Amino acid sequence: MRVFVFLARRMIFAIVLMLGVSAAIFFLINAIGNPIELMMAETPGMTGEVIERMKGYYGLDQPPFTRYLLWLGRLIHLDFGTSIVYNQPVGSLILTWGWQTLKIQLPAILIALAIAVLFGVTAARRQHSRSDFAVMGTALLGQSLPAFFLGILLIFLFSYTLDWLPSYGAYSTRNPLWGSPTLDALWHMILPIAMLTFFNTATLTLLMRSNMVDVLKSDFIAAMRASGIPERRVIYVHALRAAFIPMLTYLGLLVGLMLGTAPVTESVFTWPGLGSLYVAAIHQLDYPVIMGASAVIAFMLICTTLLTDVIYVLIDPRISLE
Amino acid sequence: MTDQTLASHVPAPKPAAKPARGIWRQGWQRFARSRTGMLGLALVLLVVATALIGPFLAPFDPQDQSPMLDPGAKAPPSWTHPLGTDRMGYDVLSRLIYGAPTALAVGLGAMAIASLIGVLVGGFAGYRGGTTDEVLMRFTDFFLVVPMFVVILAVVRLLGVAIVNTPFESVPYLNLGVIILLIGVFSWAPIARMTRAEFLRLKHQEFVEAARCIGATSGDILFRHILPNALPSLIVIIALGIGGAVLAEAMIGFLGFGDPAAVSWGQLLYFNYEALKVAPWASLSPGLAIFVTVLGFNLLADGLTDAFNPRAKA
Repeated sequence: MRVFVFLARRMIFAIVLMLGVSAAIFFLINAIGNPIELMMAETPGMTGEVIERMKGYYGLDQPPFTRYLLWLGRLIHLDFGTSIVYNQPVGSLILTWGWQTLKIQLPAILIALAIAVLFGVTAARRQHSRSDFAVMGTALLGQSLPAFFLGILLIFLFSYTLDWLPSYGAYSTRNPLWGSPTLDALWHMILPIAMLTFFNTATLTLLMRSNMVDVLKSDFIAAMRASGIPERRVIYVHALRAAFIPMLTYLGLLVGLMLGTAPVTESVFTWPGLGSLYVAAIHQLDYPVIMGASAVIAFMLICTTLLTDVIYVLIDPRISLE
Repeated sequence: MTDQTLASHVPAPKPAAKPARGIWRQGWQRFARSRTGMLGLALVLLVVATALIGPFLAPFDPQDQSPMLDPGAKAPPSWTHPLGTDRMGYDVLSRLIYGAPTALAVGLGAMAIASLIGVLVGGFAGYRGGTTDEVLMRFTDFFLVVPMFVVILAVVRLLGVAIVNTPFESVPYLNLGVIILLIGVFSWAPIARMTRAEFLRLKHQEFVEAARCIGATSGDILFRHILPNALPSLIVIIALGIGGAVLAEAMIGFLGFGDPAAVSWGQLLYFNYEALKVAPWASLSPGLAIFVTVLGFNLLADGLTDAFNPRAKA
């Protein structure tokens, strides 16, 4: 019962946050100036009458608060309006481009988790050994290596110097690899995924190692070893489960970090994802896309935070529900 | 907390026989034992030294495009141009050196703003407690959840159009000061949370009670008794934040929304990235400079955690 009360409270808080974030995005962007007037500032020769008609067409002639309510109302129906530049529904743009983002970010998180578990556990078991030192050193450096600079290094090495992998885009415009579009798409995903994976792995490994070091010192592990449970089982089933729980909180943060920096990481590879869509929209002042994409990114962050909270409570009975 | 000490196999120091020393001196002694911390300090000092004396040693003026004529644009490294020239005919080394003061201005400026807001909000929430605390912390949660970089990007661009309102052709961009202000305004939330936690911890301690007993005012208690004791924890998070702010500005510059009048590493990357294949030196060196600076501040923060908060680590 207390679990449900807790979940309900978190849900309500998440909804309030979403409302707040949507209002903040809307009013922040609109406080700067009427979008049409801003667009016109870069396009000379527009007469006042045309500007007024444009405003009417995009519903921008109403007071900001009315516009916010209208925008919010449509947002609930997943209608983000129409892109000024592409003249397509923003929702479908976000879906198409967002899918490409997911295509590189999801594998990057999963691979990073696998590597982090492997290296973190190894380093923790041989604390202060040479391999521990190597893992920690690499992870410490990797934590500070900006993802976009890593991307540039990867392109320089693997695309320009060795000429093994493509440096930009998600597909070849002609002559796909071995005549297969699927293989071609996978081939283009390698470098972006490598960049994101390295970036994720660094912090995850450090966390995994320090959690594991703590867990391996605890009494229940000693008890298991004493009762003759095979070492592999002790480490990879029991200790790992206990050490993994605190990682969940960080995973939530990580998703936020990855989505938040997608504009930069995707620009490096000209990857046609949500981040690139967002940067292009900002350059072209495509205001429905700016608002829609930032709202979607913010909502995804809030949902991830909520999800990690919920999972955390469900799997770790020690967490107090206050 | 993560365990990042490479030197943690050093035996724990014996309980000090000497009388208790100041928190700062004790901290420095522990910091000096942290190898990562000392490396971080060295890197940060390198950047600071470059920023302070580099401009006097730089071979060329950062706005000097004369190399365009002699070795030409995108010329490989040579004796006159140790790091080559870039796409626009600038001397890469000189631009790199002049980028250091910009990066430090961004890091320190943004964090000064963020600390001011964060300490005021967090300190007030922690000290007053009750409804004030609840309201201020929900407000902070809100700033934690907003995707900072995404919002800053939009605001930088839109404000650029609105403020500068230039005619066509000259692209409107914000100047560096406004970018620093924006980064600061959007990154105070972690500082506020830390300040609140520290103030909650400290406000019931005996020395605060004692101060209250001798009739110290609220302001005195907050700023002369509690804040100095909260500083060690705050310094760690501020050092991390400086690295983060430098990175944020680099990313804004890399996407082409930076201040073209400022010499910044992110913009060097932006202008030269297209020519990565022909003139790798012009993109790789500013990237490396960003890496070294961010690494320096991160390692410094790591060492500071060792120094002031050793129990936070495994």
